[in-house]
Amino acid sequence: MFPSYIRAAVARVHLFNLSPAVNSQHAQKRLGRGQGSGRGGTSGRGTKGQKSRSGNGKPKAGFEGGQTPLRKRIPKRGFFNQTGNTYAPVNLDRIQHWIDMGRLSSSPEKPITARELLLSGCIHNVHDGIKLLGNGADQLKTPIHITPARASQTAIRAVEKLGGTVFCKYYNDLALRDEVKGRTDRLQAAPTLRKDIMWYTNWHNRGYLSPTALRKMPIVEERWKTISEQLVKYKTQTFEQKK
Amino acid sequence: MSSLLPTAEEDASADQVVELDPFVFSHPIRRDILHLCVVHYLDSLRQGTASTKTRSEVRGSGRKIRPQKGTGRARLGDAQSPMLRGGGVAFGPKPRDFSTKLNRKVIQMGMRVGLSARVKENALGVVGTLEWPYAKTRTLAERIEELGWQKTLFVSGLNEVPEGLRKASSNLYKIETKTAEKLNVYDLVKWPKLVLDLAAVEWFERTLGKPVVTPRAYKV
Repeated sequence: MFPSYIRAAVARVHLFNLSPAVNSQHAQKRLGRGQGSGRGGTSGRGTKGQKSRSGNGKPKAGFEGGQTPLRKRIPKRGFFNQTGNTYAPVNLDRIQHWIDMGRLSSSPEKPITARELLLSGCIHNVHDGIKLLGNGADQLKTPIHITPARASQTAIRAVEKLGGTVFCKYYNDLALRDEVKGRTDRLQAAPTLRKDIMWYTNWHNRGYLSPTALRKMPIVEERWKTISEQLVKYKTQTFEQKK
Repeated sequence: MSSLLPTAEEDASADQVVELDPFVFSHPIRRDILHLCVVHYLDSLRQGTASTKTRSEVRGSGRKIRPQKGTGRARLGDAQSPMLRGGGVAFGPKPRDFSTKLNRKVIQMGMRVGLSARVKENALGVVGTLEWPYAKTRTLAERIEELGWQKTLFVSGLNEVPEGLRKASSNLYKIETKTAEKLNVYDLVKWPKLVLDLAAVEWFERTLGKPVVTPRAYKV
């Protein structure tokens, strides 16, 4: 048979002489419509047994016929830390590639934040914040200014070697959401947990509340200075000895 | 090819020629694409309101009709089972949506194939304007007979079909008028003859013409 698009010099096109392309449409399989169709009677299910029953006909997923399933043979282990954080990793080679493509750019006044990374497609999901990691540090060529939630030591070294800046900022859920949506009407809260306070007042981590960071950052909110003063007191505090 | 609808100055109009974009009006004929477009259109017209009651929807109580054992007859539960007279329908029709998805570009190709098919059969005409100034259906019917334009679809590229033509032709079953926006592949295949006005030609060349793609700038 000739495919319809090669047919030449035929009667004019009308509603009664249209047909689909050859072999483009397959007849439906209709079960239980008599022996002549080849699928009558038991409709292709064979004789009795679990699989021939109506409804599902299958046991639940993971069931092994009564044998202890794999799920139960392996012991449980550990616990899940509900207060933990999952940071979305981004490596230096990926950032450099994005800058080369023209999808990212940074300056000291407008550093790269979670919002820029998400909207440019460098990150697909911000989770609890961004962590800057140092894979491909030798591929980094341009100085970048970035404010992630965390950064690895290799990444910090590589960025600062080229003249860029890394300042790690604390984001709770609401602050991260505001950052990503671009809302500036609300204040972004300071860290309250002891672990976070100790981390973000430390210049080793490039925490934004450390005195060195407040001196070096181009844009500093007034309240960060007061907060930093108060929070850093733990370093020189002494405890009262009970007599 | 350009012949005017109302005026008798046929000499002037017969000399004018309209240049048509070959990508739109001289497209290779693909009947299978036309088939897809027409089936898609007819699917979309289905009302899909056939409805039946299942055994759970038929009015009735859940009382067991007769005892499980002892009667010598088949075992039965409630009176709404599909086995029984007056019971529900097993797997009967329910109101559903029969419309299907067809790629936008396939539909556009269908339009191009439809227009090209009519051009190929010499069944497509272009007119300067579709204005009909005489407010009588009879005059229009006579003119249609004169021109031999029965079973024609008049397509206007304006926002609305010119009122004169619309009103005069509304009672004539041999003609129909439509705007280019609302035209679909089914109409192109159904109506043996087409008459477009210049605005409609322009509309089709704009919406169905080959898309202009500027190459992306690469930094090397």
